Amino acid sequence: MHRFLGLLGLFKEYLVLTFLIVISLVLLSLNDNNQVRAIRSTAVGFVGFMQNALAIIPNVVELKKENEVLRQLNVNLSNEVSLLREARLENLRMREMAGLKEHSTFKLTAGNVIGKSLLLLRNTITLDIGERDGIKADMPVISETGLVGKVIATSDHYSIAQLMQNKDFRASAKIQRTRVDGIIAWGGGDVLRLKNVSKTEDVRPGDIVITSEYSSVFPREIKIGLVSKIEEKPGSLFKEVEVTPSVDFASLEQVFVVTSAPDPERTEIEKKAARTK
Amino acid sequence: MIARYFTYALISLILVAVQTKLMRLLTVEGITPDILTIWVVFLALREGQLPASVWGFCIGLLFDLATGNFLGLSALSKTICGFFAGYFYSETKMMLTLASYRFLMVVLFASVIQNTVYFIIYSQGSEIGLLRAIFQVGLATAFYTTTWTLLPMFAFTRRSTR
Repeated sequence: MHRFLGLLGLFKEYLVLTFLIVISLVLLSLNDNNQVRAIRSTAVGFVGFMQNALAIIPNVVELKKENEVLRQLNVNLSNEVSLLREARLENLRMREMAGLKEHSTFKLTAGNVIGKSLLLLRNTITLDIGERDGIKADMPVISETGLVGKVIATSDHYSIAQLMQNKDFRASAKIQRTRVDGIIAWGGGDVLRLKNVSKTEDVRPGDIVITSEYSSVFPREIKIGLVSKIEEKPGSLFKEVEVTPSVDFASLEQVFVVTSAPDPERTEIEKKAARTK
Repeated sequence: MIARYFTYALISLILVAVQTKLMRLLTVEGITPDILTIWVVFLALREGQLPASVWGFCIGLLFDLATGNFLGLSALSKTICGFFAGYFYSETKMMLTLASYRFLMVVLFASVIQNTVYFIIYSQGSEIGLLRAIFQVGLATAFYTTTWTLLPMFAFTRRSTR
């Protein structure tokens, strides 16, 4: 303290001068004349020039802070971009589904896939809609890209659908271009097979396969897939038609269940005819 | 010491009044001698740098208030005048300085600095050029004031020779 006071004493003339000059400048600033206005203007210009000149000198601490803030912002924006991308994809899916629902002549109930079993011979999916939503066994399941399968079991709030990639699945189908009929069944792996197609029928790779009006379960003209390969084995009357399904079962997230019941009269008479045989 | 400072204050008041009211009678070509500068330099040579700075401020402020022109400008210029004149303070050679041409030199030096500070601010925003103001008015005032310093210098010379 003594040393500090001694130091102050050493420079007391300068300290007093500074103090008096400051008071004088404060008094000067109280005036409102041309001189003071000009000095203020010059001072503002000088301060601006100095700030501008000093701005090019990088402030390490500030840069570090700014860097941290930008990094945090980058993380936040990346998260947001990811969420937006997800929302966009979901939006596109929903649009397609909404479009399907609008153009469909059937009554559809939307459901989310909450479980999948794609490794066994009886591949199924679990849906979050059940009997309370009007879901019953044998109702067809479709997506915006085509036929998925049919409902095989239901509870109040859930249902299980058999996929086309299931060894028990069968559906009447036809080639859209030539109206050639057949039975679609799982061919193992990712492909389906259109069976009972005579060697004389006109079927080409790339043909679209759709559900047939002969089916009492599936509505007509629902896309099943595209013919990808045709083989003709010697000694057989039929062609081996391989069909690639239009639905990607691995990425299935939302589906529709066709809740319009098949014509009961037709079902009844078909069952009666089957019994008399 | 208090009595001495009281005397200084009284003389300062009188000189401010004289400078404000009477010195215009001695104006030549628009140049008026500044007896307040002579007084501040005298105080600097007699009391030292620190008191001279304070007295310069007080006298300048008093003059600003008396004239009502530019508050703070004379206070600033006379503070600096007292401070620089204080560099010539010497307790042992005080009378020697006051009674010789050195007094004139110090007044001239302090006056030039004071007028330079004064006109640097005063010429801002006005049509008077800074160099013209300093050289034509500031220097002329400094020399004219120095001329009037002859009077106190002779007084001190007579006093010192007794």
